[in-house]
Amino acid sequence: MQTNRELIKIFHGPQHPGITGNMSVELDLLGETIKEAKTHVGYLHRGFEKLIERRTIIQAFTIVCRICVPEPDPNEENFARAIENLAGIEISQKAKYIRTMVLEMARLASLMLWMGGQSGSIGLGTIGQWSIYDRDLILDLFEELTGGRVYHMYIYPGGVRRELPIGFLDKLSQLLDHLEKRLPLYDNVFFENSTFKKRAIGVGVVNKDEALKNGYVGQVLRGCGIKRDVRRDNPYLVYDNLDFEIPTFEGCDVYARAMVRRQEIRESIKILRQIVEQMPTDGKIMQKIPKHRKFKIPKDDTFVSVESARGEYGFYMAGDGSEKIRRMQVKGPSLIHGFTLLEKLLIDEELSNVALIMNSLGICPPEIER
Amino acid sequence: MISSLKKYYEIEKKRDTLFKTHIEKEELLKTIDFITINSNFMTLSQIACADWIEDEVFTLNYILTTDRRDKNLMIEVNIPRVDSKLPTLLNIFPQSEVMERDLHEMYGIDFIGNSTLYDFVLEDWKEIPPLRREFDTLEYVNKHFNFRIGREDNRDVKVEIKRRRAEAKRLKNANK
Amino acid sequence: MQEGFIDYQKVLENEEHAIKSTQSVIQKAIDWFRSKSMFVLAYGTGCGAIEMPPTFTSRYDIERIGVVGMATPRQADILIVSGYCSYKTLKRVIRSYEQMNEPKYVIALGSCTINGGMYWDSYNTIKRLEDYIPVDMFVNGCMPRPEAIIEGFVKLQSNIKNAKKEAGYIKYRKDNEFYKNNQKKIFGDKIEPSYEANFAGMNQ
Repeated sequence: MQTNRELIKIFHGPQHPGITGNMSVELDLLGETIKEAKTHVGYLHRGFEKLIERRTIIQAFTIVCRICVPEPDPNEENFARAIENLAGIEISQKAKYIRTMVLEMARLASLMLWMGGQSGSIGLGTIGQWSIYDRDLILDLFEELTGGRVYHMYIYPGGVRRELPIGFLDKLSQLLDHLEKRLPLYDNVFFENSTFKKRAIGVGVVNKDEALKNGYVGQVLRGCGIKRDVRRDNPYLVYDNLDFEIPTFEGCDVYARAMVRRQEIRESIKILRQIVEQMPTDGKIMQKIPKHRKFKIPKDDTFVSVESARGEYGFYMAGDGSEKIRRMQVKGPSLIHGFTLLEKLLIDEELSNVALIMNSLGICPPEIER
Repeated sequence: MISSLKKYYEIEKKRDTLFKTHIEKEELLKTIDFITINSNFMTLSQIACADWIEDEVFTLNYILTTDRRDKNLMIEVNIPRVDSKLPTLLNIFPQSEVMERDLHEMYGIDFIGNSTLYDFVLEDWKEIPPLRREFDTLEYVNKHFNFRIGREDNRDVKVEIKRRRAEAKRLKNANK
Repeated sequence: MQEGFIDYQKVLENEEHAIKSTQSVIQKAIDWFRSKSMFVLAYGTGCGAIEMPPTFTSRYDIERIGVVGMATPRQADILIVSGYCSYKTLKRVIRSYEQMNEPKYVIALGSCTINGGMYWDSYNTIKRLEDYIPVDMFVNGCMPRPEAIIEGFVKLQSNIKNAKKEAGYIKYRKDNEFYKNNQKKIFGDKIEPSYEANFAGMNQ
C-alpha cells in the first residue's frame, strides 16, 4: 500500500521552550526530517538607530547598552571608542585596564549562560542550576562596581565613570579561585558525558573551505581549526601586554565548538588574574571632555570592533558637526550566523536537533534586529 | 599590498588598520572584483548606509577585511535619494543577501538581481521606509498610541525653571 | 506600604495577607488551591527574560512557592510579559493569552509596559499594555531583580486567595468590546480571528 507523503509546515515559533530568545524558524517537514528552513526575526525591533539620531551623547549612552541583552558591555565599549576616534580623545592606562577587566568579566558571565542553555537543549537540567548560580556571583561583583546587575552604563567616552571600590581586587581573586575549583565538576557531568558526545559529534558540520569567505566569525571559525580573534589580529585596549592563547579544535561540529568554549573559560580566568597583578594604582579615570550640549562631533566616519563572547561585533559611526550623532549602524555576529548559516545547516536534520544547533552557533536575536 | 592598490585607487589612511577610498556608482562591481582577486581583502564585513539629506545623497560604505582579519577597507559610494538602485553582490558574497534586505526595508534602496527583498523586521508597514530623515517618529507615536495621564504635580520642565528663577529674583529684590 | 528592599519572608508573614475573605468555605478552599500552584508559560518576550533564569534556579528558587514552567498555553495559568512589546510580539501574545484556559492571570515586568519606558518615542513598541490585554500585577524596575519578581508573585497569591480584586479574565469577558476596539486600532484589518467567539451562550 502506498502512502502519499507530503510536506508539513510548522513554526518552531516564538513561544517555545527550545529557542534562544524571541525569534522563530519556519520548517517544512517530511516525517521528522527537515527539508527547508526559513528564519523570521523582528519580534524585538525597537528602532534603535532612529532613536539614537534624536539624542545627544549622554542621552544615547543610556540606551546603547540594551542592544544586546546577554552581554551588554561590548556595546558600550564600541560606542565610547567610536566617539573617541572621531573626537580625538586619548584615555589613560588605568582606564584601559579597568575596561578590559569589565569586558572579560562580561565574557565569563555570557559563557556560563551558554553552558546552561546548551545543556538544557539536550535535556540535562543540572548544569543549568549550577552555572546560573556561578554567573550570579559575577553579577554581585558587577553590582558593587557599577550599581546594576545586568545593565551597567559604566564605560563612557573619556574613561570609566567610577573608581574601583576598596578591596575589590581581593574579592575578584577569591571569586576566580572559587570558579577554578568548580570547573572539574562541569567536565565530569557535561563535557565528558558520553550522551552529549553521541548527540553532538557529527551534527551541524560547517564547510571549512568557504568559512572565511562567507564572513563567519567567532567560535564557528575556531571550531574548524582556523585561528582568528580580534584581540590577537587587531588588538585594542591592553591586549598587547597580556599573555593568552587562542584555543582551536578540529571537527567543525557542535562538539568542537563546545570544546573551544570550554577552553575559553580557562583563558578568561588567566587574563583576569594578570589584570589583577598589573593594575596601575595611579592615574585619572576620566579625561576632561566638553560639557553635555557643547560636545560637537566632527564630520567624519569610522568603524570599530571588539571580540564579544560570540564573535566580532562592529559599529559604524558617522558624525556631522552638531551635538547629535548622525548615524550609528550595528552589526552583530548573529546576523550572518542566524540567516545564511542556519538555513544551510538545518537541511536534512532531525527536528530534535534544531535547539542544539541554535545554541551551538550562539544566535541572539536582539543584535540582529536592534 | 596597500601600496600596490595605491597605483589604481586613491586610498586614504584613517588609522593604523583602517583605510578608505571613494569610487563612482557605475564602477562598483568592477572595483570589488578587482580588489578581491588582486589583494588580501577577501571578505565583506558590513554594508553601512548614512542619509545626508542636505546634499541629497545616500552614502553607502562597503567594509572589506583581509583573510587574516587585521585590516579594514571602506569603499564609499554615493547614490541619489530618489530612485536609488545598485547592483547586488549576491554572486560574490552570500552574506550580502541579508544586509541588502535590511537596507531595502529601512531606506528603500533597490538592489537589482536580489530576489529576496521581502519583509525583514517590520510587518504590515504602510508608511515610508523608517530610517529616512523625513520620517518623524515622534509624530507617528503621537498619532497612533496614547500615554498615561501623569500625576497632578507633573509640570513642564521649562515652565517650572522659569517660575523658580522669577521667584528667586523676586525674593532677592525684596531682601535688598 | 513598605518602600525599598523587602524581605519576602516578612511579606508572607504580614498581617495584611491574613484578611479573611467573605466567601463560602468551598470557594475559599478552591482559591487557596489555585494560589498555591501557579504554572508559568515559557515565553521570553523581551529584555526582562534575562532575569528569569536566576529566579527559576537554585539561588532565588521560586519553586518553593509553587511556581513551575510549562511548555504550552493549554497547560499554563500565568503569562509573564517581560518587558516591551513590539507590534509583532503583541499579535502573538494576544493569541497565546486567548488560548489559555481560565482562570488565567498576567504579570507585566518592567517600566516599558507601564508607560513606554525608554523607548517612548519608538515607532514599533506599544506604550500601555493594559489597553490591549488585562494586567493583574505590575512589577517595576529595569529590569526587576529576582527578589522583586518574587514579591510580585507573593502579592498576586494573596490577591487570588482573598479575592480582593476582580480578576483580569473576567474583565476581558465583560469589556471585550473595549479591548477589541483598541486592538483593531493598531492592527487594522490584519487582526487575528478571536478564540473567544461566543460569549452570549456562556454564563459567569
